[in-house]
Amino acid sequence: MINRPITRRAAVGIAAGVAATAGLGIRPLWAEDKSVTVGLDFSLTGADAESAKRMENGAIMAFDEANAKGGVNGYKVVVTPYDDGTATAGQYDPAQAATNARKMVSNKATVAAIGPQMSGAGKAMAPILSEGNLAIITPSSTNPDITNPKFAAQYKPEGKAIYFRTVATDAYQGPYMANYYADVLHVKTVYLLDDSGAYGVGLADAFQGQAEKKGIKIVGRDRLDPKAADYTTVLTKIKSLNPDAIYYGGVLQAGVKLAKQSYDIVPKMIKGGGDGVYGPEMLTGVAYPANQGWYATVASPHVTEEAKMTQWVKAYKAKFNVDPDDYAVTAFDAATVILAAIKATSEGGKEPTRAAVRDAIQAVKVNTLQGPVSFDANGDLQDKTISVFQIRQDKDITPEDMRNYHYIGAAPSA
Amino acid sequence: MTFSDLLLQQTINGLSLGAMYALLALGFTLVYGILELINFAHFNVFMVGSFIGMWTLQLMGINGQAVVMTGLPLIGVMLVALFVTMLLSGGLGVVIERLSLRPLRNVKGPAAMITTIGVSYILFNIILLTVGADSKNYPNPLPPIQWALGDAVLRLREVLIWVISVLLMLGLHVFVQRSKMGKAMRATAQDPEAARMMGVEVDRVIIIAFFLGSALAGAGGLIFGLYYNFTSFIIGFTAGLRAFTAAVLGGIGNVPGAMLGGVIIGLVESMGGQFIATEWTDVIIFSILVLVLVFRPSGLMGRVAPNKS
Amino acid sequence: MAAMTDLFTRVPLARRQQILTLLVAVAAIAFPLIHDNDADVDSAANAAAYATLALGLNIVVGFAGLLDLGYAAFFAIGAYAYGILTSFQVMPHWGPFWQPFAWLELVQRVPNPGGDLVHFTVSFWIMLPVSALIAAGFGVLFGAPTLRLRGDYLAIVTLGFGEIVPIVVRNVDSVTNGAAGLNGVQAPRLLGHSFGIAAWPYYYVAIALVALLMFVSVRLRDSRIGRAWMAIREDETAAAAMGVDRTRTKLLAFAIGAAFAGATGTFYVAKLQTATPEMFGFPVSVMILVMVVFGGMGSVWGVVLGAVFLQLLQSWFLEDISGWIHDLGNLIHQPWMLRIDLTESIELIFGLILVFMMLYRRDGLIPATRKQSALSFEQQHAEVRRGGFTALAGLGEFAREGHTGLEVKGVTVRYGGLVALNAVDLTVPAGGVVAVIGPNGSGKSTLFNVITGLTENDGGVIRFDGKDLLGLPPHQILREGVARTFQNIRLFTNLSVLDNVLIGQHARLKTGPIAAVFRPPGTRREEVAARVWATEILGLFGNRLLPRATQTVGHLSYANRRRVEIARALASRPKILLLDEPTAGMNPAETMELAEQIKSLHALGLTILLIEHKLDVVTRLADKVVVLDHGEKIAEGTPDEVRKNEAVLEAYLGRGTLAKGTVDA
Repeated sequence: MINRPITRRAAVGIAAGVAATAGLGIRPLWAEDKSVTVGLDFSLTGADAESAKRMENGAIMAFDEANAKGGVNGYKVVVTPYDDGTATAGQYDPAQAATNARKMVSNKATVAAIGPQMSGAGKAMAPILSEGNLAIITPSSTNPDITNPKFAAQYKPEGKAIYFRTVATDAYQGPYMANYYADVLHVKTVYLLDDSGAYGVGLADAFQGQAEKKGIKIVGRDRLDPKAADYTTVLTKIKSLNPDAIYYGGVLQAGVKLAKQSYDIVPKMIKGGGDGVYGPEMLTGVAYPANQGWYATVASPHVTEEAKMTQWVKAYKAKFNVDPDDYAVTAFDAATVILAAIKATSEGGKEPTRAAVRDAIQAVKVNTLQGPVSFDANGDLQDKTISVFQIRQDKDITPEDMRNYHYIGAAPSA
Repeated sequence: MTFSDLLLQQTINGLSLGAMYALLALGFTLVYGILELINFAHFNVFMVGSFIGMWTLQLMGINGQAVVMTGLPLIGVMLVALFVTMLLSGGLGVVIERLSLRPLRNVKGPAAMITTIGVSYILFNIILLTVGADSKNYPNPLPPIQWALGDAVLRLREVLIWVISVLLMLGLHVFVQRSKMGKAMRATAQDPEAARMMGVEVDRVIIIAFFLGSALAGAGGLIFGLYYNFTSFIIGFTAGLRAFTAAVLGGIGNVPGAMLGGVIIGLVESMGGQFIATEWTDVIIFSILVLVLVFRPSGLMGRVAPNKS
Repeated sequence: MAAMTDLFTRVPLARRQQILTLLVAVAAIAFPLIHDNDADVDSAANAAAYATLALGLNIVVGFAGLLDLGYAAFFAIGAYAYGILTSFQVMPHWGPFWQPFAWLELVQRVPNPGGDLVHFTVSFWIMLPVSALIAAGFGVLFGAPTLRLRGDYLAIVTLGFGEIVPIVVRNVDSVTNGAAGLNGVQAPRLLGHSFGIAAWPYYYVAIALVALLMFVSVRLRDSRIGRAWMAIREDETAAAAMGVDRTRTKLLAFAIGAAFAGATGTFYVAKLQTATPEMFGFPVSVMILVMVVFGGMGSVWGVVLGAVFLQLLQSWFLEDISGWIHDLGNLIHQPWMLRIDLTESIELIFGLILVFMMLYRRDGLIPATRKQSALSFEQQHAEVRRGGFTALAGLGEFAREGHTGLEVKGVTVRYGGLVALNAVDLTVPAGGVVAVIGPNGSGKSTLFNVITGLTENDGGVIRFDGKDLLGLPPHQILREGVARTFQNIRLFTNLSVLDNVLIGQHARLKTGPIAAVFRPPGTRREEVAARVWATEILGLFGNRLLPRATQTVGHLSYANRRRVEIARALASRPKILLLDEPTAGMNPAETMELAEQIKSLHALGLTILLIEHKLDVVTRLADKVVVLDHGEKIAEGTPDEVRKNEAVLEAYLGRGTLAKGTVDA
């Protein structure tokens, strides 16, 4: 169930609104005798709204399932969604993310949270959550700074890890793919591109570092403006340098255009990216034949095609009327971890406190959709599997079907 | 790839970009010449135009790049798509002018410009909320014909862009120079008061300017879709800014100037990407804008703007 | 309740405003104490930060009328200035150079195996004004080349800078950490305590900043500087002719607006302790503009209200309102209501706000100017004063001290192929009255424009009191004592009569931006004296203008606007007054009244150069008449001589019926 934080605002609310609310809106917390609250924070306004919704759905699905079974040791889970996107920023807004972190901390019933989507928001939230000792699990923010021990003083001033991930950081995704390029695809020269975003730049940086160690020659690097339409210039430059491969760090806003135009200009070159190019737009927006042969990675073990996943995907689609992506899975997994932690802390009639839930998450060992999950002391996944996919249009399925991403295997870790 | 082939290829890329910027710049120039108004709504009329073109092609049964046509059917489909897109985009421009700008005709200061920003936001968000944020695979019936020039490649769609753009621009030029309405437009641009006294219906002239400018932006949007095989709600901003720079560079208010400016900006973008770095493209283009405005505010071909201050 | 309202309306306006201000201040201070919710206090602090941004943009857009679409660039500059100088992002090698800074606690020495490094630790309280200065510096840098341009070009250039700054921030990773965003920005410290992450200290800093910047805005608005901004907003050319240095005044607005944004940027990044380039994009600039437009351009309280409302709407109410709509839809079984999601369509709503405010309520929520009550019957009743002034301090001395007057020699002006003035000679002796007549299009107004520096010339000499005027910008020509009126009345339409006349004194007053804010005794005295002088000038016209002193000029009758324009020119204490058809559009009685008043000014010793069509006025006033035709001087002499001159008759009458109307003597 979803509870919107309304009551607080009665004092400052618009008179008419208050009158309306009094009659209809309030589903008081105290009506359920036993419940805990989990906050969700995604960028529901602005540029990243679509994938935000998919993640939010994934998390809600897990909690709804648990509640339908009568809750966890009798505790029902109340979900409070927050939006860290604002029209002011046109996308995620770190200031709003910080406000949301405070909202979560100041709601005493909140024992854990899922989010945020973007690392920029995470950086603003982490210090506040650390102060409140409230654990948050991100299904998608992959910038390594926040869980990097070097910045511990800023992002976990209270000492304990509170920022967990059910997704591997760029610090693994980029380098493992570099290994794959060198060892499996035998790439000798590569041209690097990024999309100017924090995720894309970080990913390309990480790839570059490992690629150089592996002896791959970086023949050039360019930064794409995601708002611009034309990448033929840079692709012509790449064509003239004739590297073995392109590696693209970035998301699909620029990725779609890059894929389309690179098919026109350098159709035979090996092309790949991170989880940013793993998404339905690559299939519908780029479409056959331009998307053929693209490599993508996902920062978790690949499970969606396996038998137990088929059922899950069906259930997700039935419930929300959209296809899940892998971040819907990692969001579902984050919820699974939190449910496990609540279960562990509420055994034997104990009350699951915020501090107890954090410690339980730190110690968790639980089977999720992506496989067994446990965290290291920084909050990162112990298991750092990077799955590699390649797009090949399958005759038996529709072009939009995510199964056109064919699983190749796990990328080499060294 | 030899260096000369590379230069040739980047020139082809730059000219294609330039043709699109020029079409868009013409709309800025027409409206600015007459109203002295920077029309920010134009950015997203272009974007809406590319969607109108997409829907028109889809209505004719063309989806993605799977349907390939040749000969007369291709020409017919292209003409219908171009006509419908230009008509509807032009109509959109007229609606914008009537509803939001005409009431502000005699209001001094930035009010009209602020309104166009508001209209631009509205168009942008209507498309975002109705068709979604994802990039669309543009229907394209063009056959994949291309010619090799050394290592450089010239594709049919590039030739098509140039031909359509040049024809449209020539048409506009002839219209402005020869037709009665064109003369009325030029007269209004020179001095609206005097034009009004000489019997020019200034409101009509302004409507026509908006219609033509928006229709050209719509054509630009269609061409954009056919060239890149994609469109999305976000394409208006960067293209619009660069096209505006092109208009200023050529001399705002000057029709041939807008074409020249468009081509120069297109070439700057492709050569800058080749020899400097794409991440600095915007900085380079805006530096050009500032330098032109400071040292030659009338632009490369511009007339000196009449002093209406 | 009604009684209370009644009581409140009877309190004088100024008092009412004070009471309201006090109430708002008390509510703002008490808010975190009575509403113990960290998150809401945090939202309020963010809203306050946007209020300071709106205040800064208001100076540029609202006061000076310059559309700035890249305002977020200065916000970014202030943010990164603090971010870089208090984080571990830039760490040069330690050397003796840094020792003094270490003593000042601006830097720390950080031990490092490869040689010690410098860690910047500049205090938040130092950086607040320093960031303001840095941003102001960038404001001048961006503004200087572009502020000469027309307002609409400025909009696009600022948009360009707004795009460039985040790109540069993103591309120079080594200084800014690029797209990944700053790490480890320090929280402010006060008395040895770090602000940490609690919201309330930031909240108090934010509202203090809002209060301070509101105070600065109001003080600037009501000063010589503010009047000059508004003059430029209303009519740039007239402002320059009245002694306002356009470029400097605009730059000042730009720099002060930028300074507000710089300080806010520092506050914002100190509060967030991180910053990414995406935080400062075009949507942010537009949103701040929406706040200003919504609240009321030029209205200090308005823009604060606009910013706070729009920001809190997003952060507090939007999800709730959507929720309420969904609940209502559930209750009355209207499934379409469940699909409404205001968070998704908020940008659409802001676009609609921009358009609707511009179309239907351009003054915003709280308009900057309030409506004036109508004049009483007695006040409307004209009490004519026909000259007979005895003394107006300082107006006549110039002529009595035996200076040379205005000399124009061989002045030529060409517009393209058209010769507007061809080698025209003219002298106006000190204390004399010279009239220039000629058919329409003969170059009379061009002559005025070239004398006052509004038109460039193509040869010739113009001297006033022995000093060369050619090449001087208009505002300096006014400083030399040459003031003018315009044929087609160029007043500052939305300002009051008094403000118009005060702007006339711009060149004679000294108050700068700092004095305007602090109002030292000298500035107060100057302002009082300026108002006394303005009242004295307005008194020249009997009770035509005095009762209307606080009215907006746009509401005055045509004749009264002519009078205000003359009063505005007189306020600058000119040595020579250039009147361009002062009696145009007046009825015969008004014409004679004004002619008497001009004559009286002459009697006081004011030198006058006059363009006039009404020959009886010319005969009455002028010592000498100069006749222009087709840009050439065709005759010169006493009114009687000129009347008999054949060339003049030819010029006026020889052109058939079209020209006849112009000689309506």
